Amino acid sequence: MDNLTIEATRSSPAIRFDAENRRLSIQGESYPENAAAFYGPVFAWLKAFLGGLEPAASVRVDLEVLYLNSSSTKVMLNFLDLLDQAAQAGTRIVVNWYYDPDNEAVLECGQDFGEELQSLSFVLVETPREST
Amino acid sequence: MDNLDLVRLQEELSAQGILMSFSGPFSHSIIEELGVAVKNYLESAQVARPALMDVFAVYIEQAQNVRNYIDRREQGPEQARLSHSGIVVVARKDGRYVVSSGNLVDRVDAPSLVAHLERLRALDKAGLKALYKQRMREPLSDRSGAGLGLIDMARKAAEPLDYGLSAVDEQYMFFSLRVMI
Repeated sequence: MDNLTIEATRSSPAIRFDAENRRLSIQGESYPENAAAFYGPVFAWLKAFLGGLEPAASVRVDLEVLYLNSSSTKVMLNFLDLLDQAAQAGTRIVVNWYYDPDNEAVLECGQDFGEELQSLSFVLVETPREST
Repeated sequence: MDNLDLVRLQEELSAQGILMSFSGPFSHSIIEELGVAVKNYLESAQVARPALMDVFAVYIEQAQNVRNYIDRREQGPEQARLSHSGIVVVARKDGRYVVSSGNLVDRVDAPSLVAHLERLRALDKAGLKALYKQRMREPLSDRSGAGLGLIDMARKAAEPLDYGLSAVDEQYMFFSLRVMI
């Protein structure tokens, strides 16, 4: 399966999904003009990827999101729900949610998501402070 | 406009503590550019990061709400009138940041908007979080797209959301929203 790579723009994050190494990363700010349109290909890839995994495969997901607008928040929850369903079915999934201790909103957002997920391992990871 | 008017306009902006304002049709790229400008301004003013990100987030939600409301309407002279009615303002008042926006709304849309805002005004932080969690699961294509954005703003606001509706003509009212951070 091909990797999925989408470069970041000012209002949409960088997507780096590596099928072979089973590592997915989303990094940047997300407030695109049309969240459904931007994330359409991301969901299509994820569904195909999860469908093709060996039983008990392990997947690492790194989310370093600096800002999500409200529609991107809904999309991100759907994304995490798909991973959670795969985890329930036996895939070992670790999601790392990175937050800058100076950017409280990102931590709160991660906590909100963490409370919605049952089967995958959702880890809040503090990053070094951006400003010193 | 002659120079005298510009001076008066600047004095008025300054008297009201207005850091940034945009009035007229919003495009996505204008929303992006002004967002970056707001962030840069607050960074240079050495505003703490949590407050800076809250101002930015509330600005984005308001600007996108205005744009989405207008975008959902059929193209034509009415939509043009609506798109020219959009305004978003970031101001500093009494040591706080205030993000405001306004646009024309169809009278038929006013009651549900008021009901939603009044519901949010009556909730405390825990109640807002519970409602946010519930709305977070509603599909993206839902027509009441502004629902989650308003709850998000209410969670970030230092005071209950402040809004106003004034009569314009038989079809429209002017809706304004003011969020204190």
